[in-house]
Amino acid sequence: MSAERWVGRPVPRREDVRFLRGEATYLDDIELPGLLEAAFVRSPYAHARLGAIDVEAARAVPGVGVVLTGADLGERARPLPVGGVDGGVVEDAGHPVLARDRVRYAGEAVALVVAESRAVAEDAAELVEVDYEPLEPVLDPRTAADAPLLHDGVAGNRLVGWERAHGDVEGAFAAADRVVSQSFHIPRLVAAPIETRGAIASHEADGDLLTVWCSAQDPHRPLAQLGISLGREPDHLRVVVPDVGGAFGSKGVVAPEIAAIACAAEELARPVRWTEDRAENFLAAYQGRGLDADVELAVVSDGRILGLRATLYADLGAYLYATTAVAPHTTAMLITGAYDIPAARVEVVGAATTKVPTGPYRGAGRPEAAFLIERLVDLAARELGVDAIELRRRNFVRPEAFPYETPMGWTYDSGDFERCLDAALELASWERWVELRGEARAEGRVVGIGVGMYIERAGGLWESAVVRMEADGRVQVRTGSSPHGQGHETTFAQIAADELGVEPEAVEVRWGDSGELPGIGTFASRSVAMGGSAVAVASRELAERARAAGLSVAELAASEGGVEAESRFSSGLVFASGAYAALVEVERATGRLLVLGLAAVDDSGRIVNPLLAEGQVLGATVQGLGQCLVEEAVHDEEGQLRTASFADYSLLTAAELPPVESRFVQTPSPLNPLGAKGIGEGGAIATPAAVANAVADALAPFGVPHVDPPFTEAKLWSLLQGPGR
Amino acid sequence: MKPAPFAYDAPRELDEALALLAREDEDVKVLAGGQSLVPLLNFRLARPDRLVDLNGVASLAYLRVDDGVLRIGALARQADLERSAEVAAGWPLLAEAVRHVGHPQIRARGTVCGSVAHADPAAELPVALCALDARFHVRAARGSRTLTSDELFLGFLTTSLEPDELLVEIEVPAMPAGSGSGFAEHARTHGDFAVGGAAAVVTPGGARLALLGAGPVPVRFDGPADELPDAAVAGLSLTGADAEWRRALLRELARRALARAAA
Repeated sequence: MSAERWVGRPVPRREDVRFLRGEATYLDDIELPGLLEAAFVRSPYAHARLGAIDVEAARAVPGVGVVLTGADLGERARPLPVGGVDGGVVEDAGHPVLARDRVRYAGEAVALVVAESRAVAEDAAELVEVDYEPLEPVLDPRTAADAPLLHDGVAGNRLVGWERAHGDVEGAFAAADRVVSQSFHIPRLVAAPIETRGAIASHEADGDLLTVWCSAQDPHRPLAQLGISLGREPDHLRVVVPDVGGAFGSKGVVAPEIAAIACAAEELARPVRWTEDRAENFLAAYQGRGLDADVELAVVSDGRILGLRATLYADLGAYLYATTAVAPHTTAMLITGAYDIPAARVEVVGAATTKVPTGPYRGAGRPEAAFLIERLVDLAARELGVDAIELRRRNFVRPEAFPYETPMGWTYDSGDFERCLDAALELASWERWVELRGEARAEGRVVGIGVGMYIERAGGLWESAVVRMEADGRVQVRTGSSPHGQGHETTFAQIAADELGVEPEAVEVRWGDSGELPGIGTFASRSVAMGGSAVAVASRELAERARAAGLSVAELAASEGGVEAESRFSSGLVFASGAYAALVEVERATGRLLVLGLAAVDDSGRIVNPLLAEGQVLGATVQGLGQCLVEEAVHDEEGQLRTASFADYSLLTAAELPPVESRFVQTPSPLNPLGAKGIGEGGAIATPAAVANAVADALAPFGVPHVDPPFTEAKLWSLLQGPGR
Repeated sequence: MKPAPFAYDAPRELDEALALLAREDEDVKVLAGGQSLVPLLNFRLARPDRLVDLNGVASLAYLRVDDGVLRIGALARQADLERSAEVAAGWPLLAEAVRHVGHPQIRARGTVCGSVAHADPAAELPVALCALDARFHVRAARGSRTLTSDELFLGFLTTSLEPDELLVEIEVPAMPAGSGSGFAEHARTHGDFAVGGAAAVVTPGGARLALLGAGPVPVRFDGPADELPDAAVAGLSLTGADAEWRRALLRELARRALARAAA
């Protein structure tokens, strides 16, 4: 066993020195000889038949290298691959690299212009003349089945269909004392990483090697997806991920624009860069969330939940990316939350709409699940006259029940939900909050409190690592995982240091080149549980070899001129969980929502670095609060995105942040050597649920049972004009 | 998001700048802080033939008090206003309002006169200057004139400035003896465009109130302080689904600004 001198310690991020000094190398910092820049011509219509495209004037602009349309690409670039979901039907509606015949969202790329500079490329792009015949937009996932069909052969505009039932659902509803039901609308959100998407493509005719530097969550998925789209074997394609300025899930699949510039680079025999600008990021990067739902709970008068029925209408957008079906499937799989509900039936209707596709955004289906079940539990408590905390206690999956298979069929590996709830109530000073609410209401103030439990599916699949110690004791860790803000260089060094008996400073962490090491990547809060475990396994192998020789690892490395071990660590899914509590006030005069306090308790299994883990909690919580307070991607009746810049789409600033108290409960996962689960998304998952419950509690005296996010001033103010107390 | 091509001049003297503005064959725009113009250029919503960059005209870079009157030159930055001890002492309304303009990086570059000439209905400084009875000195190669708020602000992003005219100075009279001021605004997040705002000056003889978000230009009301919030919003013609909320919001912001002014 390792000494554990470093795992569990709040080691400051080593990588920050580089980032804070401006010494990081982002995509836009890379310079190659002869580099050209790309700009795209994008559809102004949400839905239109695509007629003739006249590119002659654009081609004639001095400095323009090439102008390409979908017809020019032909079979050179096929639509990006679609990903399936377990037990579901997924249509083959991959995103075209450049539109052919029809455009299906405003902002869809119809032509590519490559020129000596981005400015010249944009000047030329303006000269491309496109004939559009506008068609009726399709906006509402609930009614998309009756709208004009968007894809040949996709009946009812249903891109994804999935249904699962377990237990005697009808019997549960027949036996219920009460059926609690609610309809929900969860708006689409924009991921908005500071660094937008982008890539450089460079082709060497000698050996026919295409190299793509890509701002991405990992090199492996772009490698696989570009390989399929461009028809390239892996040995003729290399993907390199430099420093990445954030993703939040939005760089998990390759952008179609990147396949387009790869074709241009090959045709021109010069490297081509596309750096997405902010306007393009709003229009063309996949958005998150976007779910309507009807959910019912069958409950008996003592508060026990007998069954759940739900229909989820996902606003998937125009096409399916490899991960578009993931979020609604995850919502369905996690909809019973922290509760032992014996019977459930869930249907997912994944609708095609004339909007940019959706995809994973921090939480990726889990915030929706937590919001739906936690709101319903509070509604049930109110209808039954049972305390909402008590109702939760009566229905929790018990600690002795793990591994626990949910009615939807996932197996929770570990957890202690009541311990999390108790920790959150203590951290919040819940009893004091109850008193505060009473005092405030007596003064005529509009104050509410609420809790939100959450389950976070994390990990799964496999991840790779190579750990090498040189004869002089220096250690190099190569990982298939890939950071974009998570802190791999710090945490993976801590893990290796403990196993190898060295200082973290001796450990160099490398990643990001598909030519060096296969892997999976960073998403689903899997970096520590999977990538970190792979590092631990490879390091442990070196430690065991050394022990067998009666030496330290350093002594073994010195005697053998360096030692190396490789690992590929696989495991089933791990399930982080937690409980959040919120205290809110609605300002009567203006309707402004003030979050006065937030207590965050996360069970992410064993914590490798509590400083970085708390940073993840705070960052995710801010994004969860943004979803509550201000964030909403709004499309008008023509399908135009009305919130297409930061002038209309707000992100929270430090000034809006409430006091957030964070604490960890640590029930180790039995599925990996670190006992780790996931920490990256809990705050974004649980915060909306807790705040929504607190808002509903605040508005209850006004006869308002439920409000959908975002909780804007105008919306809350008009609800306060109701009957009142 | 690159601007369409334009010609660029960087004069060193005011007369030179005014001569460039007087070119009749071209659409000429003035670049000072660029915090509104450059985004408009990058979105290609503004496509001038020529930009006249004022940043080299040193004679316009001043913020000073002469005989109790505050004079703000065309190149005075919003941060200059924010950091001036004289402004904080003599015109606290401006010191308060300017802190709501964007973020520190924006205020370091953005100019006070630029904010006025751009006439964005969500801008704070025009409203505060309106409540303070500021006067606006305008120059052209052919002559000069001085305007009041009413005369300057005509509509959404529209002023009475002619294409050849430059707002060279804002003159703010001294606050009346025994008066106080207050500013209040509501934005979705700090530094975001304001949804509503109110600037108030309370003098021994009565109160002045200027509202932001009540229309395309600053809307000014004078009268007894205790009647102003209701009187001001009663006459507003607000439209849209959230009109009643905005009316309630403006009444509350007026009340807060007046309360601060009276404190």
